[in-house]
Amino acid sequence: MPNKSGSVYGLTILSPIIDDEKATPSHDLQIRDYLAKLSTREDSPFALAPGTHLARLVVMDDVIYVGMPACEEHLASKYLVFESNCDGDLDDYLRGLADTIPDHLDAIWKHCVGYPGAANRQAFIHYMKACQLDTTFYFAAVNDKSVPETLRALKTQTAVADFIATHQGADAATLQREFIRFVALLKSQPLPHPGSMGPHREIKTGGRNE
Amino acid sequence: MSNINGKVYAMNAITPMKPWKTWILRGFFFLLGHIKPLQKDLIDLSFIEFARWVVLPRKQFPFLGNGQINEDLKYDYLLFFSNFNGTWNQYIDAFSAVLSKGLNLVWRWSEKFPGSVPVTSFKEYIARVQFDTDYYYTAYPHATANDIKSAHIVQSSLDQLTLRAEQCSPQQFADAYLRFVLQVQSHIGETGEAPIAG
Amino acid sequence: MSKLNETDIQGFVLRGYNLPVARFLFLHFENPARARSLIAHLLSHITTGQRWDGAKPATTVNIAFTHRGLQHLQLPDATLLSFPVEFQQGMKHRAEILGDTGVNSPEHWDAVWRQDRVHVWLAINGLTPEALDSRCSVIMTAIEETGGASVLASQDAAAEIIHGKPTTKEHFGYTDGFGNPDYLGVERSSQPGQGKLLSDGNWVPLATGELLLGYADEAGELPVAPVPHLLATNGTFMVYRKLHQNLATFRNFLEQQSAIYAGGKEKLAAKFVGRWRDGTPLELSPDNPDPALTQDPNRSTNFNFGADAEGTRCPMGAHIRRVHPRDAFGFNGRLINRRRITRRGLPYGRFAPEGTPASDTEDRGVIFMALNASLSRQFEFVQQQWIQYGNDARLGNDKDLLLGNHAGHGRFVVQGDASPANPPFICHHLPDFVELQGGDYFFLPSITALGMIAMGLVDPR
Repeated sequence: MPNKSGSVYGLTILSPIIDDEKATPSHDLQIRDYLAKLSTREDSPFALAPGTHLARLVVMDDVIYVGMPACEEHLASKYLVFESNCDGDLDDYLRGLADTIPDHLDAIWKHCVGYPGAANRQAFIHYMKACQLDTTFYFAAVNDKSVPETLRALKTQTAVADFIATHQGADAATLQREFIRFVALLKSQPLPHPGSMGPHREIKTGGRNE
Repeated sequence: MSNINGKVYAMNAITPMKPWKTWILRGFFFLLGHIKPLQKDLIDLSFIEFARWVVLPRKQFPFLGNGQINEDLKYDYLLFFSNFNGTWNQYIDAFSAVLSKGLNLVWRWSEKFPGSVPVTSFKEYIARVQFDTDYYYTAYPHATANDIKSAHIVQSSLDQLTLRAEQCSPQQFADAYLRFVLQVQSHIGETGEAPIAG
Repeated sequence: MSKLNETDIQGFVLRGYNLPVARFLFLHFENPARARSLIAHLLSHITTGQRWDGAKPATTVNIAFTHRGLQHLQLPDATLLSFPVEFQQGMKHRAEILGDTGVNSPEHWDAVWRQDRVHVWLAINGLTPEALDSRCSVIMTAIEETGGASVLASQDAAAEIIHGKPTTKEHFGYTDGFGNPDYLGVERSSQPGQGKLLSDGNWVPLATGELLLGYADEAGELPVAPVPHLLATNGTFMVYRKLHQNLATFRNFLEQQSAIYAGGKEKLAAKFVGRWRDGTPLELSPDNPDPALTQDPNRSTNFNFGADAEGTRCPMGAHIRRVHPRDAFGFNGRLINRRRITRRGLPYGRFAPEGTPASDTEDRGVIFMALNASLSRQFEFVQQQWIQYGNDARLGNDKDLLLGNHAGHGRFVVQGDASPANPPFICHHLPDFVELQGGDYFFLPSITALGMIAMGLVDPR
């Protein structure tokens, strides 16, 4: 099954959510509430744990009725969908999540049926795989670069554009000297944090529109 | 919930299929996956970072026991997850304008699919079968697929120039530097905030 | 495609009049009944799309309404609510979407646009200032006699006259007005490069529905339009934007940058736009302007960017490449055919020839007017995604050099090659060359629709 494209893994997980009439609010709403308050920036759990390019968590309430003459039908469970586009080997990735952000994982998945907790690595990996769906067709625009490689390249791109713009017309000796210094400086700087917007950026989001 | 994070949009869609049709769709995806030229249009569209289709047969919903009730369904389901740049309308418009045949082959097995042309009924269908994202993370909210591809070109060009920067004479360096600038000159657009969605 | 009924379509929609002077009156309706009688009165003045057969009129008159204006005319609610959302909201409300922020934000607009009082755009174009004045006084009399509206503001615009002849030059010195699309059914001397590109390399007119409501568009369906059909058909939407030009800033910037650009001043000016200042396309003549080329309708717009993927002739971010990417996005241009607009613009303010003093504060600029079937899909998309952003052109967040809202940030990359006369070059710390002074979205109805509005006969079904 094509879960991989190049070195990128397309992980799809559907975890049935506990249906407990006595729970208030219901488990699905508790997941939604937790996710709504979770940071999507550099302190996101997925920025703290290694290997995630893009990921989403979605509470899937039901299947969708498309209208007559199709039949109306409903799911017995609600499901938590975890869609991740991540680096490399699945076991390593899941282990990385369990090692780095066990509290977040537990806070989210404790509302799911049969979740063993992240403390028991083997049980956690086994559980996630039991909930995994195989991807039928997977597309990745860039499939040969890891998260750190892309973060580094984006930083380099910004720095290079600035360097070129500020060294137009420099004589050859100065250019060479400055370039060597520039490259050394760039190498010495830490990688940008995953999930960060870069300096001085604000985020605006809205609905759908042209 | 938010379907948007920086420059990416998360789309989720689920559509019902009569189970016998699922096999035809699997066959189509098998071909698409193994004949690379068929994927060319997806690559050329250049605003999709990652996308996947998952065929979910009605008897293969994850079942964990522990009191979970078995699903009892008539349809198989097709799940679609996309991470794209730009606006929802732009995305669907582009799909309809240039990938209509391919999309029809993907979704025509789903109930009530109206076809990807004309675009308004296609949009209505997608909007109906779309469900919203509770939590969306990207490591690169300030970058699009194009930005990322460009950044890697700049990185590899820089690495090449760096290898020889210290060994050559200033004049040799100046020549190599000009070639470097020519390599990267159409790949140094700024990254940053996305335009606001209305 | 059958022939369009030119007697039902306002002439402003079907053709650029090429009349050198114009006055735009912005009216406020006082009273619905008197407003309708004013429209009834003006109906006989409205210039239609009928051909002139050589005898160009001395003046033309056209009319359009904001959504507020249509409300004041008491169109039925079911009709008013059926207009597209962006038209209902008006341009001011769309400022964030359009990138009309910072110096371009509504709080800096002219007083008439800061308030929500404009109901009508009334355009009078003329062959001479005298003809314009006399037609305007007739119109003003009608406005006063009916008592239907008050005039909130008036905006004059005029082409630059050189050697007694009107030109299509704008204040920065560029020859403008090459790029309008051809549409099916619109009689015009069609020229290659102005419609849509086919896979065989030929150009054909765009679907009528990209310009006019009531006809099939490039997606093979009727554009989103208000009800009833009779109100919408043969009408269109217009955006009006008053764009102030900072002439001193532009000239200083060009001087400073070209001092360190080995290709020279005129080539750098050409790289900004994609045409030399006389209008010669860089794509066809990268080394020097070619006046013969600009005069040849078979060549002046007949080019593509496919063979210039790296932008070494026409930069990736040059204005004409941004707003009409032709084949630059692949798929034989199919991604751009529903993003085309028709421009009808005229400069305003005194012209300051090269070499004469110029300041930023003098009142000069361009009245930008664009027509399209869908403001959101066409004008707003181009403005947001292609002018104020660059991802489709693979330029990240880079904005259009001349129109972009830079606020001192931003870059413009001139892609070059290894030849000394065409070096790669980056302009950075970009000033704002153009500042928005206001404007709005208007509905330009057909003659039939104007009659229905005037008589209060709009029935939403």
